Amino acid sequence: MTSMNDSPKPFRVPSGTRDSRRHTPKVEMKGLYQRAVKESFVKLDPRIQVRNPVMFVVWVGTLVTLLLTFDPNLFGTLQADVNQQRLLNGLITFILLFTIVFANFAESVAEGRGKAQADALRATRSDTIAKKILPTGSVQEISSTELRRGDLVKVVAGDMIPADGEIIAGIGSVDESAITGESAPVLKQPGTDIMSSVTGGTRLLSDELTVRITADPGQGFIDRMIALVEGAERTKTPNEIALTVLLAVLTLVFLIVVANIPPITGYVASFLSTATSEQAAADLRNGASVAIMISLLVALIPTTIGGLLSAIGIAGMDRVAQFNVIATSGRAVEACGDINTLVLDKTGTITLGNRLAAEFIPVNGHGMEDVAQVALDASVFDETPEGRSIVALAERSGAKVSFDPKLAEGVEFSARTRMSGTDLDSKEIRKGAVDAIRGFVRSRGGHVPPTLDEAYERVSKLGGTPLAVCQNNEIYGVIYLKDIVKPGLKERFDQLRRMGVRTIMLTGDNRITASVIAQEAGVDDFIAEATPEDKIEVIRSEQAQGKLVAMTGDGTNDAPALAQANVGLAMNSGTQAAKEAANMVDLDSDPTKLIDLVTIGKQLLITRGALTTFSVANDIAKYFAIIPTIFAAAGIGALNVMGLKSANSAIISALIYNALIILVLIPLALKGVQFRPLTADQLLRRNILIYGVGGVIAPFIAIKLIDVILPFS
Amino acid sequence: MLQGWIQIVLTLLILVAITPFFGRYMARVFQEQRTILDPILNPVERFLYSLVGVRAKEDMTGWQYARAILYCNVVMGVLIFSIIMFQQFLPLNPTGIPAPTWDTALHTTISFITNTNQQHYSGETYLSYASQMWGLGYHMFTSAATGLAVGIAFIRGLTGRPLGNFYVDLIRAITRVLLPISIVGAIVLIAAGVPETLAGPAIVPTLEDPAISQAIARGPVAHFEIIKNLGENGGGFFAINSAHPFENPNGLTNLITLVSILSIPTSLIYTYGIFANNIKQAWLVYSIPFVILVGFIIITAIGEYNGNPAVNALLGVDQAPNLEGKEVRFGWAQSALFAVITTASMCGAVNSLHDSFMPNGGFSTLSNLFLQIVFGGQGTGTAYLFAYLILAVFITGLMVGRTPEFLGRKIEKREVVLASFLILLVHPIAILIPGAIALAFPDQLAGISNPGFHGLSQVIYEYASAAANNGSGFEGLGDSQPSPIAIAGGATTSATALWWNLSTCFSLLAGRYVPIAALLLLADSMARKQPVPATTGTLRTDTGLFTGVTIGVILILGALEFFPVLALGPIAEAFQIARGIG
Amino acid sequence: MLEAIAEIGSEWRRQKLPLYLFLGLCFNLILAPAVFAATSGDLSRTQAYWLGALVILTVALAIYLFFVMFVPERF
Repeated sequence: MTSMNDSPKPFRVPSGTRDSRRHTPKVEMKGLYQRAVKESFVKLDPRIQVRNPVMFVVWVGTLVTLLLTFDPNLFGTLQADVNQQRLLNGLITFILLFTIVFANFAESVAEGRGKAQADALRATRSDTIAKKILPTGSVQEISSTELRRGDLVKVVAGDMIPADGEIIAGIGSVDESAITGESAPVLKQPGTDIMSSVTGGTRLLSDELTVRITADPGQGFIDRMIALVEGAERTKTPNEIALTVLLAVLTLVFLIVVANIPPITGYVASFLSTATSEQAAADLRNGASVAIMISLLVALIPTTIGGLLSAIGIAGMDRVAQFNVIATSGRAVEACGDINTLVLDKTGTITLGNRLAAEFIPVNGHGMEDVAQVALDASVFDETPEGRSIVALAERSGAKVSFDPKLAEGVEFSARTRMSGTDLDSKEIRKGAVDAIRGFVRSRGGHVPPTLDEAYERVSKLGGTPLAVCQNNEIYGVIYLKDIVKPGLKERFDQLRRMGVRTIMLTGDNRITASVIAQEAGVDDFIAEATPEDKIEVIRSEQAQGKLVAMTGDGTNDAPALAQANVGLAMNSGTQAAKEAANMVDLDSDPTKLIDLVTIGKQLLITRGALTTFSVANDIAKYFAIIPTIFAAAGIGALNVMGLKSANSAIISALIYNALIILVLIPLALKGVQFRPLTADQLLRRNILIYGVGGVIAPFIAIKLIDVILPFS
Repeated sequence: MLQGWIQIVLTLLILVAITPFFGRYMARVFQEQRTILDPILNPVERFLYSLVGVRAKEDMTGWQYARAILYCNVVMGVLIFSIIMFQQFLPLNPTGIPAPTWDTALHTTISFITNTNQQHYSGETYLSYASQMWGLGYHMFTSAATGLAVGIAFIRGLTGRPLGNFYVDLIRAITRVLLPISIVGAIVLIAAGVPETLAGPAIVPTLEDPAISQAIARGPVAHFEIIKNLGENGGGFFAINSAHPFENPNGLTNLITLVSILSIPTSLIYTYGIFANNIKQAWLVYSIPFVILVGFIIITAIGEYNGNPAVNALLGVDQAPNLEGKEVRFGWAQSALFAVITTASMCGAVNSLHDSFMPNGGFSTLSNLFLQIVFGGQGTGTAYLFAYLILAVFITGLMVGRTPEFLGRKIEKREVVLASFLILLVHPIAILIPGAIALAFPDQLAGISNPGFHGLSQVIYEYASAAANNGSGFEGLGDSQPSPIAIAGGATTSATALWWNLSTCFSLLAGRYVPIAALLLLADSMARKQPVPATTGTLRTDTGLFTGVTIGVILILGALEFFPVLALGPIAEAFQIARGIG
Repeated sequence: MLEAIAEIGSEWRRQKLPLYLFLGLCFNLILAPAVFAATSGDLSRTQAYWLGALVILTVALAIYLFFVMFVPERF
């Protein structure tokens, strides 16, 4: 049976609302944009550009148009005014250059934000002096960077903890605000499985600890987080790789298409020179000049998504970091979007860690007031949240403390007795697990009323934990301790269900209790009386059906399950083993964050898809702007549905649009497309309307506007 | 006018009506369920398997399947080339035709093993009956069956089954699908007036002057004709193909021809529905090419119905159908319908001269060839269509916030490489690059008869037809060597014909084997994936919305890359005619 | 002398880009006259040389994109 020995895991309620915690650590954001502007020119280095296939093609094109600005007749004599050609080619070169610069700017801003965040983190990790305990037992002061995994260090009050490690001796309170933003210090002690791990960069406030170092320098959590938010260790995620392939293929296709236009127009031009006029032939040849072909190529290849792709990825990692979660790879963040099943612990995740008193049930013919009075007396010295909630409920029922607490003595809860209470001179008042109280009463010569079992059954059926109260050898009643489902969780599970994510609750409670909580929280399924082995079993069976599973955990016995899950989120308060097995660590130790991570993962994928669709859809308008105007001499001018002024004006307008759209979409790329918890069909309909249909229409309007504004004839 | 449209609508209705029946039958055949022909054919098949030593039950991987196709095709190619080159030493050569030039023979060989049947020769004067029947007629079965096998293997892979065994699929495609229908069809055609004889040309006195006699070419046409259409081969027995009164004598044979051309590629989509156990999706996918097909038919038919304004002005009428290059017995409607269907389905038989169509027709037929999925080739068309679906899933699927999945299988790098390679890259490479080279040297290489926009269409059409394995021609190019008899009589070979024979071989091979290999590897990698169960968060591909999205993706990715050549070809020509020049 | 050649040889193995540039320019020596001949007098020799270089550049870009297509992980 469940009783107070199923004590809640140490769980910290994070202060403030989620939004107020979602902040970038105190970082210097000033000068971010100046630095990004500088960076975006530095990134014109071909060795950097070559890593982005779409933009590299633009880069090479810019080089060629630059040559053509100096000599427009470099690849063949055009029958046009040389100076005018120079001006046009110069303009094209300029716009192409800025297309690349804008793309670089997007990446630089994303990186800059990450760097700023990393700098703030790094400040906490400046070299500290570590007191290394040598095998001889003496202490040597060395730099924290010289510490290796397995070293023992001594930390005294006021010291910075030099690296990630596990406490092997001592108890002390640690200020972890540097990484979690949580001001209340946390008590750390060895052997407690949960609270024995410490993070480098946090400060010990009291007492003295001996810590075994568990990470080599540069391998700790903070180091990993820095590397990730800075984008230094960024490797492409599987989705990004597939998208890169598509972009490369599209670029290659348009390269082939455009490269074959000049010979084809050459053929038509030689026909026109005899059929209509030399002028028409010359116009057509000019329309297929190298500079214009490069412009057409750049307009058609997917520069919008090509330029913003890496910024989207970096910004996604950054969003995760802003949630105070460390991800070990971008792959894990992306996998969050694909999650089919969430495996959640009941305690601390679905319910508040503490049960609260909800009702007193009198037995043995006692009145409600008597039970409240006894319960209050038994709980006066109980400082646990349960105890305080009993006091509060009793006081609401009109009971008052009937003795002077100074004369009484508190009896602490112990795992052996499974009771706590108060001793007065003549009275022993106790509350505790029902069978423990039963035993206590019998030992004092009292008898157990049959109504006790009824009350016990009733509370269990409601999903609560029954506590019996007694005074001397007389049982007065049962306290109904209720699990409180976290507020707002039911709605979030509903959202998840709409997005196609199933939730499974794991609990050590019995079936009845579990099913009541499951119902109340709105989870899809639950496993009662679960052992740590069950956890991994659930994950395996879900994965066998092809599903992706996410879970949270903190204990050492969670480690195998965390490693087995596709997304394992470990609590920062958890053990080192758990943190190492997981692919994400939550610094706030808030397990519900897993739900936010699903949203972030989906948002990342949606942003990529939306911009890809937009970029591809834009091609229609660009085609209709450029092709009819540059081939106007072939008599297809009527296709110029936008009524653009001239070929030159059309080309320049399309290129300006092409460059500006990157700039315009940077905020979207960095913030991500707003996510709504809708079904796939609703999401597709909505996004196709905005980014697909919008992507077809928007450039028509924008290019026409630019054409009207441009002073070209 | 009304009559013409009724003909068109009726033909399309018949096609839609037979789809479920034929589709279900093919599903039975390739799921190895019992069919009506089993008692006769099972012993035959067992004998064949034991003869060639195929272990019938052994499934192949994508790569093995592709290799089997390649080996099989190389062997058949050598065989057909030898038959043509040695036709003068072989029987059934009543007119004693010597071997054609090596390049003509090579081009014909490759053209027939790739199910294209692009003909740079005239059947009557270049080839003996032996070459036509043993060389070409035999390949019309095997190349069509190869395409069908690829389509089926692709469907199997997509729906998570092993790909199957190429040799088994090839034999079943011939014995259960192509051969039975061809036997029945040929008999019907004979009844409708198509000749089937081994006798040489008939020598008859002309009506005008009985003293002068005339040779009328004939031969074993009927059996050749039905597989030409059913297998989407399209290589006519006679030079003018289905316009010839012996190949396609009347309205009934024309209807049989049209229905047999489109029956397999349409029904195969239904077969997919049975394999995937999702008939609804099959019909939605079916609607994609159907809508495009109807659109092209309307565009073409309107152009032909209104006729050429320049000609009409000469005739002094407002409107008269364009009958230039058409058989009067088919008229504008059936000619327009035939032209669109034959290019849509990669058959390539023609009952009118595509060169003489109004630019609307040029636009539709070229676009059909560029897209390749307007039902498309035997087996491959359906596979291409699903490759487009995969691409559409990949591009738009991210927008629902999950890694894109098709039928529960994740679309990842490998699938994107194969699908985009297949759909987006092969075609421009095989059409635009040789096309641009030919147009850069219009006199030396291309030998264009109609310079200008129309000439551009002719050149691009020839390569598009080769790359899409269609085989029809816009014609008007110097692509034929003189006939063997003429060469024996001292005619000189042509340099442009040599260029065309060899350069189209490149497009033929690139357009056939690269996509087949890619399709099979794609199917293989899809089959090996662990399917993910569908949830409300999964992008559903069997909805009207997604079907619409796919049409958009097809038009943007498949057609826009050819917009510049369409603009300078048929579109410019249309404006030119509208302005009244030329 | 031999050492110098050996050094150039080993440098070549490390520095791929200059090697490719050099080979491209060498190939252009063959391509440019062909371009010049094919355009039958429309272009000057210099223009033919530049056009040849442009063709090689385009082909090189296409090869680069093919490379990206097959090993996107490295980009």
